[in-house]
Amino acid sequence: MLAPKPMGRMLIVASRDQAAPIINELYREHMFHIEDYVEQGQGGYEGFKIGTPLKGATEASAELIKVRAIENVFAIRGEDADAKQKLSAPEIQKKIEQDLPGIEKEIEGLTGARSKLDTKAKEYEQKIVELAPFKEIPLDLALLQGFKHFSVLAGYVPRDVTISVPHEIQVVKGKERSFVLVVVTENDRARAERELQEAQFQSVSIPAETGTATARTAYYTEQIASLKKEIEAINVKLAKIKESHADLLVACEEAFRARIEQTEAPLRFATTSKVFVAEGWVPADRIAALSAALDKVTGGRVFVSEQPVDPAHDNVPVEYNNPDFAKPAQLLMDVYSRPTYTEVDPTLVLSIMFPIFFGVIVGDVGYGLLMLALCIGLWKFMKGDEVHQFLKILRNASIMSIIFGLLFSEFLGFELPWAPIIYSRHLNIGVTEAGGHGAAIAQLLIISVWVGILYVTLGRALGMINHARQDHGDHRLKAVLASLGWITVMWGILIAIWSMFPIPLMPDLTGLPIVAVGLSVGMVLAIVFIVMGVIFIARDAVLEIIEIPTIISHVLSYTRLTAVGLSSVAIAMVVNYMSIGMFINPGMKSLSIVGIVMIIVGVLIFLLGHAFNLALGMLDGGLHSIRLHYVEFFTKFYKGGGRKYIPFGMKRKFTED
Amino acid sequence: MADVNMTLEMVQASQVGMKAIGAGLAVGLTGVGTGVAEMGIGAAAVGAIAENKDFFGLGLLFTVIPETIVIFGLVIALLLLF
Repeated sequence: MLAPKPMGRMLIVASRDQAAPIINELYREHMFHIEDYVEQGQGGYEGFKIGTPLKGATEASAELIKVRAIENVFAIRGEDADAKQKLSAPEIQKKIEQDLPGIEKEIEGLTGARSKLDTKAKEYEQKIVELAPFKEIPLDLALLQGFKHFSVLAGYVPRDVTISVPHEIQVVKGKERSFVLVVVTENDRARAERELQEAQFQSVSIPAETGTATARTAYYTEQIASLKKEIEAINVKLAKIKESHADLLVACEEAFRARIEQTEAPLRFATTSKVFVAEGWVPADRIAALSAALDKVTGGRVFVSEQPVDPAHDNVPVEYNNPDFAKPAQLLMDVYSRPTYTEVDPTLVLSIMFPIFFGVIVGDVGYGLLMLALCIGLWKFMKGDEVHQFLKILRNASIMSIIFGLLFSEFLGFELPWAPIIYSRHLNIGVTEAGGHGAAIAQLLIISVWVGILYVTLGRALGMINHARQDHGDHRLKAVLASLGWITVMWGILIAIWSMFPIPLMPDLTGLPIVAVGLSVGMVLAIVFIVMGVIFIARDAVLEIIEIPTIISHVLSYTRLTAVGLSSVAIAMVVNYMSIGMFINPGMKSLSIVGIVMIIVGVLIFLLGHAFNLALGMLDGGLHSIRLHYVEFFTKFYKGGGRKYIPFGMKRKFTED
Repeated sequence: MADVNMTLEMVQASQVGMKAIGAGLAVGLTGVGTGVAEMGIGAAAVGAIAENKDFFGLGLLFTVIPETIVIFGLVIALLLLF
C-alpha cells in the first residue's frame, strides 16, 4: 500500500538446448519482465551476442498474417470477442493442422470471387454513366459510329451553337448545358470541331454498343442486379463460415501470437554459441516459485540467481500494489504518470477521494441514479479492460453522488422529504414564498477550504517522505526541511488569519492575550512559523520563495468543490423553475389547446435541461475532482515517470497451454 | 443622481440589481480571463498530444491550471448573490 510492489532481479543462465522449455515456462508463468539485452559491451557480457529466434518463428508469423487477414474480412477482433470455451494446446494444434488450411482456402476462394464480381459490377456501372447522355437519343448507338464519309460529334455545350458547314444536329436541352449530337461530312469535320470548340464544347465519347441507350442501360442495370445477388450469396456463405469458425480464428490468432512471442524471445537474451543469459524482474515474493518451476521443467539444468537490486540506479519496472477496490484508480494514475519504484504511490488516496469529491460536486440522488444506470448500460456494450475500469470509476463516483444527494437532500434540484442532513445547497431560485432556508454557502466554502488545507498538508508531508527516500547527501535534509517549510508557512498564514478575524468553523484566536509590541500569542506563533518556513524553503532553493502565494491559491482552489456543485444545483433549479413554474403549472390551470402545448414545452425543457446538466455535471465533477488531485495535490510530492512492469507472457482468453 | 422621489424599496431593489451585475461581471470577466489563458496552453497541449499520446495527462493538467481563476469568480458571485 502506498508503494509499488517489491521487485527482485533474476538472472537465468542455461545451455541453449534448454531455451525452448525455459521460455515456455516463463511465458506460462507470466511474471518475468525481460530486461532486453543490448550489445553495448557492458562488463561481464564480453563475447555475448543477441540471440536468434527459435525454430518455427517464420512459419508462425506467416500463419498469423493469414489469420489476421481473414479476421479483417470478417471484422472480428480478438479483444472484442467473448471466450466461450478455452481450447487446450493439443486441440488447437490439431485444428491448426486439419481445419485451418481448408478454411483459409475456402475463404480465399470466396473473397477472390467476390472481388471479381465487384470489379465487374463497377465496370457496368461505369458503362451506365457513359450511356446516360444518350438516353434522350432514340437511335441505335451502332448507327452513330463506323461511317466512312461522316463524323458524329457528341458532347455538351453551355449555350446555343451555330455551325456554318452543312450538318445535321440534335439538341437535348439541359438545365445548365445542352447535349448535342452533330453529324458532319468528314471534310467539314475540322471546321465544325473548331466552331464547337469556340462554344466551349466538351466532347463525350460514343459508347461502343448496339441498341438504344435506354435499352442498354436497362440491360446493364439487370446485370448489376444479378451480380449483386451473387455477391450477396457469397456474403451469406462467408457469414456462415464466420459464425461457425470465428471462435477458432481468434483462438488460432492467440496461439500464433503466443508462439511468435516465445520463438522470438531469444532476441532479447544475451547468448553465446553454447549458453544464453536472460535477465529480468519478478515480484519479490514470486522468485522462489519461479526458480522452482524452471528447475522442474529443465530437470535441474538451469542456473537461476537473484541479483541485488539498487532502487536508485536500476530502472526497476513498477507494478501497482493496491487492494482490489483501488485498482480502477490506477487508470487515472497512468494518465498522469506511473510512479517510480522509490516513490510514494498515491493511488489509494486517489481511489478513495476521487469519488468523494465527485459526489460532493454532483451531490444529487437523481443524477447519481441516472449515471449509475448509464454505467450499467455501457458495461454490456463496451468491451475491454480499460473501459471497464473506467466504468468502475464512474460507478463509484455515482454511488457517492447518491450518498451525498441523500445528505444534501437533493433530487434533480428538488428537495427530498427531509431537510438537508449536512449543509443545505438549496438556493432561493424560483421561491416565491418567503422563508426558504437557502443555502449555507459560507459554511460549505469554509469546509472546502479545510479540505484544501488538509490536502496541501498531506501533499507536503508525502513530499517529505519522497525526498527522504530519493535524495542523498547534503541535499536530502535540505529538501525534506523545505517540504516542512511549506507546511509551516501555510499554517503560519492560517494562524495569522485566525488571530485577526473570527471565522465560523475555524479556530478563533482573536481573544488570545497580547505578549509584546501589540502582538498576540497567535501572531507571534504565526510569525515564527512563517519565518522558519521561509528559511527552510530558501535554503533548498531561493527562487522557490516567489511561489509562496501559490499556497493561498492552491488552498482556495478547493473551494471549487462547493462552487462547481452550487452552479450545478443552480442550473437544476432554474430548469425546474422554467419548466414547472413557467410552463407546466400555468398550463395545468387551463387545459385548453394552449395549455396542453405549454405542458409539452415544459416537459421538453425539463428533459433537455436535466440532460444538459447531467452531462455538464459528469464533466465538471470528473474534471475538477481529478484536477484537484493532479494540480494541487500531486505537484507537491509526486513526479512519476516510472517504467511499466510488462511480464513476458499473455492473459490467454481462448486457448490453454 | 439620487432622485428625491426614490422610495426605500426602490433603493433596495437597485442594490439587489447592482449585486447581480457585480456577480455577472465576476463570473464573466474571470471566464474571459480563463479562456484567454487556456487558449494558448490548450493549443500547445493538443499539439503535443498529437505527437505523443502519453502527454495527455500532463497536457490536461497544464490546460486546466487557469481554471482556478473562473472558480474564484464563481465563488465571489455566489457570495454576492446569496
